[in-house]
Amino acid sequence: MPAVNNDGYYEVFWPRSPRQADRKPVAKRLDTLEGKTVAQLWDFLFRGDEVFALLEEGLRARYPGVRFVSWRDFGNTHSRDEREVLARLPQRLKELGVDAVICGMAC
Amino acid sequence: MLRASAVCEEAGYPTSSLTCEGFLRQAVAISVGLGMPNIPVALVPGHVGTQSKDELRRNILEVTVERVIENLTRTLAAGSGNAEPGARDIIFKGGFKAVNRHFYEKELSDGLPIVPPTQEDVEAFLRFTDRDSNEVLGTILPDQRAATIWSIAVNGVMAGCRPEYMPILVALVEAMADPAYGVEHSGNTPGSDTLIILNGPIIGQLGFNYTQGALRDGFMPNTSIGRFWRLYLRNVAGFLPRKNDKATFGNTWRVVLAENEDVLKKIGWEPNSVEMGFRAGDNTVTIGRYTGGGAFSSVSGSTPEQMLPYLVDAVLKYHTWQLLFTVSVGNGSLRPLLVITPLIAETIAKAGWSKADVKRYLYEHARLPAWEFERYLRDWTIRGVWNLEEEVRLGRMPNIFYESGDPNRMVPIVWKPEDYMIAVTGDPLRNNAYVFAHNGFLGYPVGKRIELSRDWQQKLAALES
Repeated sequence: MPAVNNDGYYEVFWPRSPRQADRKPVAKRLDTLEGKTVAQLWDFLFRGDEVFALLEEGLRARYPGVRFVSWRDFGNTHSRDEREVLARLPQRLKELGVDAVICGMAC
Repeated sequence: MLRASAVCEEAGYPTSSLTCEGFLRQAVAISVGLGMPNIPVALVPGHVGTQSKDELRRNILEVTVERVIENLTRTLAAGSGNAEPGARDIIFKGGFKAVNRHFYEKELSDGLPIVPPTQEDVEAFLRFTDRDSNEVLGTILPDQRAATIWSIAVNGVMAGCRPEYMPILVALVEAMADPAYGVEHSGNTPGSDTLIILNGPIIGQLGFNYTQGALRDGFMPNTSIGRFWRLYLRNVAGFLPRKNDKATFGNTWRVVLAENEDVLKKIGWEPNSVEMGFRAGDNTVTIGRYTGGGAFSSVSGSTPEQMLPYLVDAVLKYHTWQLLFTVSVGNGSLRPLLVITPLIAETIAKAGWSKADVKRYLYEHARLPAWEFERYLRDWTIRGVWNLEEEVRLGRMPNIFYESGDPNRMVPIVWKPEDYMIAVTGDPLRNNAYVFAHNGFLGYPVGKRIELSRDWQQKLAALES
């Protein structure tokens, strides 16, 4: 006797939905870090205070004229009021004359 | 972190995002969701949490510094974006096994067989809501996809829900989309899972289990709706393991916790829905994320004073590193959840105690020496750069956390008594409790009212006939 196919037949929908984020370009990169001001943004986790101090040391060795704006000037970027903090960020970076940003820590 | 970087990039500031080795794939997945697939990251070798000062120094100076320079000064290749199906595209045709194989291979299912989401079944779900199927309830991070009524129905079918669960599923996704909940954090390290608390007459109408084995699978509405939550997190929010979902361990979804409102009414305690700001008798869902929890057996005594010390001890034992959410980083967002059986609740209520009285007791007695509180965060876990004295001095925490300089002073683990949550369910005739350790603002409790369709009763009756 031939085997009965009990597997059925289905036409099924995609369970996802369209992404809402428009594709955005990243910022233009710098020619050099010499003489530039680099901001440090931190989520206050995973030894970022030590990591930023080491990065300052390493970057200054390569670019003696590089300046830093400490994470202390921005506060925590990953707290309960993250949305408000991030909304204020562009203006704050402008006020501080920042050219580039180092952001941590994803661990 | 990448959300902050994206804000900077969009404002015209080049960024470099410091990323430990184990998080590189998550960074890629998040950057696609942010609409910036080429946002640059700088490798931090290994994990900083286990490195000596010398190891950390070597890794940063020999590896990370160079990557940061590259990120900030070299033009980046444009990232690629993959073409995707349309919202209502048929993505596969075939038999049950082939459909399931396809969904599994495309990372659209959780590893268990799914119910194939066909036109007929999806439409049956849509009949149980008055909302337009194209309505968007919000944009769900990190994938930034539209939370549509249609997508809720599709995932509800897949999870094995019944069509009449649809109003609950809609309320759940409304809660997921609420910024106060913080769904974007659902892939974080502790691998916390959401607990759904259900209240209202719908518990009885749809046959939820709220007695013995209340948190066990085996009851269709409790189980399938819990599964729906996880499927929606995968498919619409985008939390796929090894990508956006970086749970270190994780666990399977939690089944829905339905409160025993029969007992609550009998002893005069308000249900969780009232604590969340709704009226008694409203059908509601409350969601919160919990890092874990455990059962506490044989809560003995015939008075609150005899029973509660054991429960205080249980709450303290389950909240250690989670104190992170009590300090300024978490802005007092820690909300421990204590689940007690009807027998315990009845015994406490018999002495004239309300739920609020129990919360007050927990607040006043679940306390730690200040030195121990600080040790969890400053020495043992995140190595924070704070102390309770400074937090209070700067007005970031209530004064009770620094009433003196005595390191042995006792401090609470939450900011106020109302931060404790209490639910009553489980085997009515046993004296056990369950403590859920909360994940703070990375899954803050949010409640939503369940909107039933206009002809709800008739539709339910039609199902039964």
